[in-house]
Amino acid sequence: MHEPQGSFQRPILDAPLFSMDGVFYRYPDDTQALSNIDLDIAAGDRIALVGQNGSGKTTLIKQLCGLLLPSAGEIFYKGKPLKGKHLEQNRLEIGLLFQDPDDQLFGHTLLDDAAFGPHHQGLAIKDAEQAARQALERVNLLEMAYKAPHNLSFGQKKRAALAGLLAMKPNVLVLDEPTSNLDPHQEEVFLSLLRDFSGTLICISHDLIFLYELCDRVVVLDKGRIHHDYTLRELVSQRQSLRDHGLDFSFRLVNTTLSCDLTESKPLDGFHRTRTLSDVSKGKSLVVLRDYHYRYPDGTLALHDINLTIQDGEQISIVGENGAGKTTLLSCLLGLRQGLGEFRFAGRLMTRRRRKTLWQRIGMVFQDCADQLFCSSVREEITFGLHQLGYSKDESRKRLSQALSMVRLEGFEDRVPLHLSGGERKRLALACVLAMEPRLLILDEPTAGLDPQGEELLLDILCRLDVTLLLVSHDMFFVNKLTHRTLVMHKGRILEDMPTRAFLQDERLGNLNELSYTYRRRTSSAILTMQHEHEHRHLHHHLHTHRHRHGEVEHDHFHEHEHEHIHRFAHIHPGDEKNHDHRPRRYHDHNHPGHAFEDHDHDHPGHAKKTDEHH
Amino acid sequence: MLMANIIHIQIPFWQLFLFILIPVAVMAAGAVWLRRIVHNRSVPEEDRDWSVPPLTDTAGVSLFHLWDVRCKIITILIYSFAVASLKHLTPALVAIGISLMILMTARVSFAKVLLRLLAITGFVSMFIVVMPFSVPVHKGDTVLVFKGMAWLGFNLRGLRLAATIAAKAVAIALLMEPLLSTAPLPVTLYGLSRLGVPEMVGQMVLLSYRYLHVFRHEAGRMSSGMQVRGFRKRTDLTTLRAVGNFIGMLFVRSFERTERVFDAMRARGYQGRFPEPAELRLRSRDLLLAAGWLALGAALIIYDRVVW
Repeated sequence: MHEPQGSFQRPILDAPLFSMDGVFYRYPDDTQALSNIDLDIAAGDRIALVGQNGSGKTTLIKQLCGLLLPSAGEIFYKGKPLKGKHLEQNRLEIGLLFQDPDDQLFGHTLLDDAAFGPHHQGLAIKDAEQAARQALERVNLLEMAYKAPHNLSFGQKKRAALAGLLAMKPNVLVLDEPTSNLDPHQEEVFLSLLRDFSGTLICISHDLIFLYELCDRVVVLDKGRIHHDYTLRELVSQRQSLRDHGLDFSFRLVNTTLSCDLTESKPLDGFHRTRTLSDVSKGKSLVVLRDYHYRYPDGTLALHDINLTIQDGEQISIVGENGAGKTTLLSCLLGLRQGLGEFRFAGRLMTRRRRKTLWQRIGMVFQDCADQLFCSSVREEITFGLHQLGYSKDESRKRLSQALSMVRLEGFEDRVPLHLSGGERKRLALACVLAMEPRLLILDEPTAGLDPQGEELLLDILCRLDVTLLLVSHDMFFVNKLTHRTLVMHKGRILEDMPTRAFLQDERLGNLNELSYTYRRRTSSAILTMQHEHEHRHLHHHLHTHRHRHGEVEHDHFHEHEHEHIHRFAHIHPGDEKNHDHRPRRYHDHNHPGHAFEDHDHDHPGHAKKTDEHH
Repeated sequence: MLMANIIHIQIPFWQLFLFILIPVAVMAAGAVWLRRIVHNRSVPEEDRDWSVPPLTDTAGVSLFHLWDVRCKIITILIYSFAVASLKHLTPALVAIGISLMILMTARVSFAKVLLRLLAITGFVSMFIVVMPFSVPVHKGDTVLVFKGMAWLGFNLRGLRLAATIAAKAVAIALLMEPLLSTAPLPVTLYGLSRLGVPEMVGQMVLLSYRYLHVFRHEAGRMSSGMQVRGFRKRTDLTTLRAVGNFIGMLFVRSFERTERVFDAMRARGYQGRFPEPAELRLRSRDLLLAAGWLALGAALIIYDRVVW
């Protein structure tokens, strides 16, 4: 990890909307969350706030909303300190969208909830209701105005939470992971709503492709400090910088282009898969569902006409919009729900009695791994299932060690699962399942909430596994990398059952089941072009500091000058032409060997322009 | 000890099972019947038009929907006490009749009413099965004695008493739907706060109602997470430990969510008060309706005490 840019100077704005001056924040448990934050945000800015889990992003946005007050330093909003009466008066101009919409939808109905903010802005009951109705109409939920929030789908909840903010007509929208757990269609709807917002936008996300579509400027946080503040184009084009901050999602971009070229026998770059499709075709049927139906207790038909065969060793993905019936199908496979129809596992008909033993052969990693981690230590967590299987202590210890090694959590035995990072918890959940050696491994949205570094590590682990896999995901990159066959679900039915490669090439399916991947493909392609990198020799400006002498005085300070040298440079490359322009850039990091010993001129404040001698 | 003017009727021992099984079977059949009706009458959520308030959707607006919520709460509360104070079965059955008439007038969902009845079925069954065997025997009681078991008598007065309690419970349970379903919950709670119940209590009930569903789903997912790793409830220390962990983790998650919800409320201007959900206005017709209903309650008590 590189050090924060000591030389970094924040862009100077004439009249910033927000101004953070030397802000520090320490939590009551003594965790230093923010250190010396200097940040100006202009009205109308669209800022992406990025960094690894635990880098202080959420703390920073809470400061901007006045939910937390700085331990030291000052935050100004419209030129006045954001505290006391000024905070009370202006808080309602700043809308904060939480990651989990259930945190935010506390109203009895959607209309009640959306009217909550306008009520507190002092509007009369009817006016507040009118504002709420307009906001619900904007997010296309007016026809559900009197529905209780708990009866909505996840995507609808997200939009309803946004309506609650839009009803207040905020100047600033602060968003915490706005697209997490949304299907591609809902994501695109959300993106379009946010694009239409004309105020200042501050957005936290690990999804740089989404951010690239939405924001212009990016602030990179690391361990509570601002490391970079530049354009998003600059960040995504510099792989090294992305990698330094655990944000390198470029492995996805490589895949985007390869996705349609994936061949059955082609080994995945850097990973070792031990089984090929030809092996799979020789396998026996592990799961067979024939004319399978499932109806919820309230009478809703959740699954119908399900006919599915999973061969031993197959890697299958299930895709579909939120509410398509994917999770219900998994529950039936796990024996948690029993529908009507034929269900065979390893050739045996699953009767009511037998399905209670399915847990011994099928393992599942849940979308929110907090749902399956409940013990007080990692050791206890992993050995829980082994204990239920009746393994001896020695065998459990051996498997514990193997499982931790597989998910790269060696030495974590005595750690408390609740205190682990999101990525570590996900890998722990996987270890708990792998320790039990299931014949069928089910992964439900494995990338939800992970930062790019966590995703890459998880992918590496999953690619090395030799197990029958059922992956439920909206993430086409993971679907492409991990599976050979894709089931498309829609309204409780399997619409299509086809090779993953064919699915990824079929644009028609995107429209058919309300999934849309077009903007991601477009953006990925654009970023990939920008990440083109090779050596260049060209004139460019430097703004830097180093020790130098003015007569008897030796010191260092910022100075800017122009010179030419060879360096690696990521930039837009117009086709295959050898001669091409370099777009002007404010900053870019590269090595500058021997520069301290070169003679060069620069303006010196208070001195005549002269040549300095460098040490 | 049996008194001299107590009527004893001796019946064969095997009929003891009938006296236990028949009430249990009848109540169980009733519960199944209610459940089936509720299931058949439930309207799938998707079929409703949610762009209009559910109260005016299918049921239409009744006198109860227009009644001032404060008047409604006080009147139903006092009337319920009046019903609870009845001592005889016939007035209690009359009270059920009145409740049914009120249900018709209020045009509430029949399925939801049945659901409430289903909820009290177990409680009522317990009274009907246990009381005939357990009430003290008084002068003038008729007791069925089973051959060879003189110590176990089936007291018909006990059965009547149990039936009276059950009838009163049903009469009051039937009124809960007109009380709670003829105004949105926030308005009913607002009415309570205007009657002097601390505002914070109303807010807590409202938020509990909202988040009960969220916590139920969370608990369900956690329970599934445990089941897929082989957890089965047994009577051993491991189960106790796992359940302890489960409850602890649920508490931690609930606590964390509470903090986030509070932050979200503050971010949208919450400073200790929820917005008023409606304007409450007391009209003369509200008072007239309250007076009429309370008079009915008084008449019921007079009928119970004077006529019987």
